[in-house]
Amino acid sequence: MTKKPHLTKRIIIYLILVAVMIMINLPFLWMVVTSFKTEKEVFTWPIKFYPTLFSFENYEGAFSLMPLTRLLLNTLFIAGSVTVLQLILNSLAAYGLSRFKFKGRDVIFIILIGTLMIPREVIIIPLYIIINNMGLVDTFQSQIFPFASSAFGIFLLRQFFLGIPDELEDAALMDGASRLQIFWKIILPLSLPALWTTAIFSFLASWNSYLWPLVAINDSNKQMIQVGLSQFSSDWMTQWTWKMAATTIAVVPIIIFFFFIQKQYVEGIRGIGIKG
Amino acid sequence: MKRKGKDTLFAWFTILPALSIQVVFIYAPLIWAIFISFFRWNMIRPMRFVGLANYERMFSKAEFWDSLRITFVYVLGTVPTSIFIGLGLALLMNMEWLKLKGFFRTAFYIPVITAMAAAAVIWSWIFEPSYGFLNWFLSLFGIEGVGWLSDPDYSLPALMIVGVWKRIGYNMVLFLAGLQVIPKSLYEVADIDGASKFSKFWNITWPLLSPTTLFVVILQFIASFRVFVSVSVMTQGGPSKSTRVITYYLYQQAFENMKFGYSSAIAVFMFALMLIFTILQFKISKRRTFYK
Repeated sequence: MTKKPHLTKRIIIYLILVAVMIMINLPFLWMVVTSFKTEKEVFTWPIKFYPTLFSFENYEGAFSLMPLTRLLLNTLFIAGSVTVLQLILNSLAAYGLSRFKFKGRDVIFIILIGTLMIPREVIIIPLYIIINNMGLVDTFQSQIFPFASSAFGIFLLRQFFLGIPDELEDAALMDGASRLQIFWKIILPLSLPALWTTAIFSFLASWNSYLWPLVAINDSNKQMIQVGLSQFSSDWMTQWTWKMAATTIAVVPIIIFFFFIQKQYVEGIRGIGIKG
Repeated sequence: MKRKGKDTLFAWFTILPALSIQVVFIYAPLIWAIFISFFRWNMIRPMRFVGLANYERMFSKAEFWDSLRITFVYVLGTVPTSIFIGLGLALLMNMEWLKLKGFFRTAFYIPVITAMAAAAVIWSWIFEPSYGFLNWFLSLFGIEGVGWLSDPDYSLPALMIVGVWKRIGYNMVLFLAGLQVIPKSLYEVADIDGASKFSKFWNITWPLLSPTTLFVVILQFIASFRVFVSVSVMTQGGPSKSTRVITYYLYQQAFENMKFGYSSAIAVFMFALMLIFTILQFKISKRRTFYK
């Protein structure tokens, strides 16, 4: 056992951590504070670092100036669809790759995982042309289909499935269960933690996406939240109170969501780091 | 065997949906990008084969080299800083007696899960020259504020601040995982020998952490090389092109100037560069398991 350091030393370390924590989260605090100020008070010097407007006026302003509800619903629908599709497609592929030996399996695995090496920016032009030729520009499908499967999800689930003993399956096979039944009734229920992790990753990635909706969606009623928010921000140069209210709406639900799911999320990050 | 044939069929049935998505939306576009890079094309007039002309033009253009230089400056400014701070936090967070670990970790991690676009809107307000938080904060120390996003000398550093801020938490989590793998017994032996704190860090922690460090360096290198969102939201490559990083240059050439052939050549160049680093990353992460 290493000894506990002196009390003063411990206090100093706590103080450092608290100071860094405040510094890192200051932008969010400042965002919320600004969203509760009148426009006049935003432009005062020296600045007031406490809220002065105790109403949701700026939020009402943000909701009336930009189609915020629309953007949020669009994004929720797209991120939700991407997540569901990824859960189905990734877990199926991971199951096939982890349970069966067949010719070409390793090549397929490398092909599926190899997409990790291809950044979106590199393929964005042809992807746009493909989506354009399919007539999917300005549709939700353009934001859903290309992300219906992911290398990361397949990799993580495959690792997890490999850890489930074969004996469970053999017994079920003896009882006359089909492979699909085994997958659905045995493998998936045992894999809930891994499924959770991949679901969180795909949902957040979709919710935060920016470049692809910027390219493939022009109709502001079909737009996703991040692009909508930044376009609103550049349209209303100096309306910081409304902009911060709109940003709060876009950011705070995700932060609250994260507080509930952070354990699974961090496990997933470690999964990348350690198993790589 | 009948069973085996059936199983193989089933295996293909499970893999095909995911595989077709990856092929249609990732591999086909990649091959197509390479193909287009040998053509002149603006989507209106028909494609015209030009051989290597797009690449020649790219390598002879000052604006291409400028964007590459700006990107590397950004990378060199962001990666080491975010790694040092992340490592420092991880070392503090790894203390056995520390309470509220989960709380601190979550708090440090919030910028990582926040969308860069939203974060960039917030930071634009913090960087605001006359009433922004940062210039006010500097004024407390008698430092004259600057036009963070309007002065070409400060625009890139401003983006670097945002980049570092966004990545600290991620690095901390990876380092924390790396630190927890180091056997405690090594430190106990060092304690018996009366080794100093610094000596323990330098002779045990640092060498045993080096696989993690390498992994984080390359991961962050690739991530910050791809910087786009903060540029697009905060500066649009300006002022006077001081923040036109390579992804933004690519985006402008493709979707503003409609030069699909030329921008595909930039894309292929980027891909080649990043491929080298990804392969390096895989090699290293393979070695990492060795230490476990």
